[in-house]
Parts: sequence; structure tokens; C-alpha cells
Amino acid sequence: MILSARHLTKTYIDSDQTIEVLKDASLDVQTGNMISITGKSGCGKSTMLHIMGLLDAPDSGELYICGERVHSESKSAPMIRNRDLGFVFQFHYLIEDLTAVENVILPMLIAGNQESHARLKAKEILALLGLAERFNRYPNQLSGGEQQRVSLARALINQPKIVFADEPTGNLDPVHSNEVWEMIMNLNRELNQAFVVVTHDVEAANRAHKSYELIDGRLNLKKG
Amino acid sequence: MERLERFFLKRYIEAPKRNLFRFSFVFMVLGIMLSVGILSAGLHLFQGYESTLRKLLLDSFSHIGISSAYGEMISEAQYEEIISYTDAFPEIESTIPMLGFPLMAQKNDKIRAASLKAYPDMADPPFAKYISLGKKNISEGEVIVGHYLMQELNLAIGDTLNLNYPRLDQITPLGIPSTRSDFRIAGVYRSGYYENDRSMVVVTMANARELMMQPDGYSKIELQLEDPGRAAQLNHRISAILGPDFISIPWNYHAESLLRLVAMEKWLIFIVFSFLVLIAGINVISTVSTIIIDQKAEIAVLKTLGASRRTIHRMLVYRVGMVGVLSVFAGQVLGALLSWFVEHQSFYRLKGDVYFIDTLGAKITLPNLAIIFAVATALIFICIMIPLRQIDRMQIIEVIRNKH
Ligand SMILES: Nc1ncnc2c1ncn2[C@@H]1O[C@H](COP(=O)(O)OP(=O)(O)OP(=O)(O)O)[C@@H](O)[C@H]1O
Ligand SMILES: [Mg+2]
Repeated sequence: MILSARHLTKTYIDSDQTIEVLKDASLDVQTGNMISITGKSGCGKSTMLHIMGLLDAPDSGELYICGERVHSESKSAPMIRNRDLGFVFQFHYLIEDLTAVENVILPMLIAGNQESHARLKAKEILALLGLAERFNRYPNQLSGGEQQRVSLARALINQPKIVFADEPTGNLDPVHSNEVWEMIMNLNRELNQAFVVVTHDVEAANRAHKSYELIDGRLNLKKG
Repeated sequence: MERLERFFLKRYIEAPKRNLFRFSFVFMVLGIMLSVGILSAGLHLFQGYESTLRKLLLDSFSHIGISSAYGEMISEAQYEEIISYTDAFPEIESTIPMLGFPLMAQKNDKIRAASLKAYPDMADPPFAKYISLGKKNISEGEVIVGHYLMQELNLAIGDTLNLNYPRLDQITPLGIPSTRSDFRIAGVYRSGYYENDRSMVVVTMANARELMMQPDGYSKIELQLEDPGRAAQLNHRISAILGPDFISIPWNYHAESLLRLVAMEKWLIFIVFSFLVLIAGINVISTVSTIIIDQKAEIAVLKTLGASRRTIHRMLVYRVGMVGVLSVFAGQVLGALLSWFVEHQSFYRLKGDVYFIDTLGAKITLPNLAIIFAVATALIFICIMIPLRQIDRMQIIEVIRNKH
């Protein structure tokens, strides 16, 4: 068991209303799992992912990563995010002033690795993701699919235990979308990399080992 | 330094155009340059003023002056006695007797108070280096006159000047008797020290004795030292040897308080001008805030990837700090240029009667450059730190949710 989320709740209080986004959401992730989460827009999928990724704090409930209880505000949170977790967002969030390779090496530099070593590793992963010709391109010189694959490479470079992806293909046309999905499935199969992917695409979600639907603040297993 | 910091620092240095500079830096750089430039010029000019004044005070006055304790003349025999004492001090460069007294200088209907001086050895007089026109060693019937006294009396070299010594000690009911005599102007004295330049009159010792009706004796014995800084200490020892018949006064007895006042004014100017740098610092604060807002997506990404708060702080500090330090250097260059310009311009001169000297000279010293640099960079770094708290308050999650 690499991640275990227990009875998470999250409520947003606006000026005129309170929105109970998560009521009793639990999820277990094991090595090599390929998990998808679907659900209506606004039902709290991103919120769930952010909490599990230590980017946001739940109102109540517990989160364990590798058996240890963790919290987004705890001192070790940045280190856990750097070492054990990877992120891919709907919008790529690459740094515009850095080339593809330079974007990918950031997590390794933060972890304290040498730049030259990180560059070699980054090129390896970018090549694996079919971007061998694009090492020194800046984000604005890459297509949407390519940008998303660079984000994926960045999420993978520190060999995290889990990669969280929040609608990684939400901004892409069907061709590019499929390309990124293939990549994720391959990485899961060949490297035994665990993924938790939030998506609107029900068909794609069904390709995962386990598929959950977030309804009414709870995660319901649909498949697996 | 962490790898990430080093990575970004390297990029700033290697490709500053792409990575370091932003348009929002322009006003910050200009503000720092101008304020540091003005601060530097102010300090350099005041330093120049201070050291010119010190040098002139040292050169135009005796370092230690010995006179009679009873207001009498010093006789030849007493002078010999004093010499025998001062010869024992290797620190004393010269012991020169001088006859000096106040008198009136008159040309037609214009009369000015003046101060006459005469030295026995006219071949190499102590004031020689300040003769700006005419000759240094005058002969009988010739006079050297201070530059401003010449101006006030409308005189030129070759003109005659009447010197008039009122015998205040011999006032009778009929009036004050006086000795007077005409002299031909042979030289102009100009030291830059205003007080001397508007009162100095030099004649030969023989002429001075005639005017004063004083067949022998001196009014003062002037000692010049190798190191004027030790005048007070040396004076202490000399006056002990001389005994109660003589008074000896070191140059700094009068000048030190003036120099201290000037030095204090210098640091006052420095503090006032440092506030300009602080005002430029407001630009720094807004520049850093702008960067934080502009780059909040990047900052959020780095935080998401696990960069620590300190690392992100430091990256910003390096970035703005490097530009700030470069601007301070540029400001110091600007300050040197400014003071050079003030030194070489000709439309403003100091008023000698207010400032003691009439020329403005800048002096750039290493300690002053270091102090300016230290104060300016310290102020700028404080201003860089102030907005960094914005980063800590920034919620990564808000940024990530709200892109586009
Ligand atoms: N800071 C906030 N303040 C108030 N409400 C918020 C805040 N953040 C999110 N919400 C609300 O919480 C709910 C869940 O948001 P979330 O982004 O998790 O949904 P989602 O399932 O990812 O939706 P989508 O599929 O559109 O991305 C939404 O109704 C949203 O409006
Ligand atoms: Mg979402």
C-alpha cells in the first residue's frame, strides 16, 4: 500500500452557501495501480487529488503515504511531493523561460542532484516519451500534446511512487489525447508506475485497472 | 547553496537578457543609480572640501606657534634659546621666527584691514608655494599682497600700496600717531584659504621693522612638523620645556573644532542623501512585488515540485539583488562623473567668505566608496526582503486552480 486516504471531508464556505465537496472519500493505491476517477464537473475530483497530493488540506480524515500519516502543512510535505509524488495538470504549467530538458530536471535539482546527471536522465525520459527531437525547445515551441508529455516527463523524473494527473488530456484534441493516454498506459505497464488519473473521458477511464466515480462526496468503485 | 538556486543563478549570469532583466527593473535601476550617484557625489565633494580645508589650514599656519606669555616681543636671545630646545626634536622640520602685526592697507580712498608678515630669510619664504603671480623673494620697498585684498582695492602688479601702522600704544589727545609708507606690489599671494587671501601682506623684515619702529625681536616663532597630526602631543612636551615665559599653541587648537564641524556636516549630508536610496528602495519593493505576481505560476510550480520556501526566497533575492548591486556600482560611477563635473564646471564657485575656501574639489576615497556600497546595498536588500512574505501567503492551490 503506497497511499491510503481515509474518510476525507472538505467543505467550502462561500459568502451565501456552504458546499460539501467531499463527505467521506476513501481511496487506496497500491504499487503499480492504474486508477481513474470520473465524476460530474464540480463534484470535487480536483479537490480530492490536491488533498492526496499534499497541495491542500482536508477538514477531517487521514492520509497515509507509505504507511506514514502526512499532512499538506507538515514540514516534510515539500520533500514528499518532490520524492514520492508526481503531478500532471490539465494546463501544463511548464516554466516558459526554460527548455523542455530544463523543465524536466527541476524536480531532480530540488532533490539535490547534479545538473549534468539530471540532464542525462531527463533526455532519457523525454526520448522514451517520443520527444528526442524536442530537448531544447521552449514550451511555446511545442504542441499541446508535446507540452503535456514534457509535464509527464517532469512528473516521472524522480521515480515517484504515484503520479497524479488531473485531466491531463482535457485540453487536447482526440488524436493528441489518445497519444498521451497510450503513454500513461505504457508507463504503467512497463515501469509498473502507479497513476491516479482524473478524467471526463469515460471510455479512457475504463481502460484503467480500477475506476472510481465521485458521487455525492464519496468515491464509488465502478470497475476493478 | 542548493542545486536549484545554482541552476537559476547560472542562467541569470549566462543569459541575463533572457532570464534576469524585466521591464519593471528599469525604474528600479534608474532610481538606485540616481540616488547612489547623488549620494556619492555629495560625499566625494564634502570629502574634497574637508581635505582641502585641512590641507590649507596645515599649510597656511604654523603647526605650533610660540609667543611670549606677556604679549612682548621675543628677543633674539630668546629665539636662540628656543632653537636650542627645538633642535632636540627630530619631528620638528623647521623653526622660523616671524614678525607680524595688523595694519591698514590703503589705495586712494579705499582702506582695508590687513595682516602683515615678515620673515628674516626671504630667499625661501614659507609662503613661497602660494605666490600665484609675480615674484617670491621681494626686496626693499616691495610687497606681496593677498589675491582678494588686491581685488577689493582694485590693484595690479606694479601698483603702489600704502601700508599704515597705527600706534595704538601711543594714543594722545591729538590722535593716533602712525607710521606709513608706500610699497610697490611685486607678487600676489593666493592659497585658496579665503581669510588669508584677503588679509595677507608681506614685506621684507627691514621694512617691517621700520613700519613698526621695532629694531629687533619677533612676534612669533613658527614650528613646522613632519607629522602635523602629532602637533598637540608634541606641543605638550615643548611647552613643558619652554616654561611659563612662553605660550605655545598647536594648529589644531583653533582648527580642530572647525574640521570636526565639517566632518559632522559631511556625515549629516550622507545620512540625508541615504534617504534618497531608501526612496529608491520603494521602487525595489514594487519591482519585487511585481515579479511575484507575474511569476506566481512559476513559483507555484516550483513549490508543487517540492522547492522549499527558502529556496524560492533566495532565488528572488539573488535575481533582484544582482541587478540592485550592479545598479549601485553604476550609481557609484555616475557619482564619480557627477563630482568630476562639479569640479570642472565654471558657473558656480564657492563663496570664500562663507566656506573658507573658494574652489570645489572632489575627493574619492576607498573607505567612502565602501561605506556607500555597504549602506546602499544593505538598504536595497532590506527592501527586497519586505515583499517576500507575499510568497508565503500565496496559496499554491489557488494559483493552480485559476490558470487561464
Ligand atoms: N476556494 C474555493 N472556494 C469555494 N468553493 C470552491 C473553492 N474551490 C473549489 N470550490 C468548489 O468546490 C467544488 C469542487 O471543485 P473541484 O475543482 O474539486 O471540482 P472538479 O470535480 O475538479 O470539477 P471539474 O471537473 O470541473 O474540474 C466546486 O463546486 C467548486 O466551485
Ligand atoms: Mg477539476
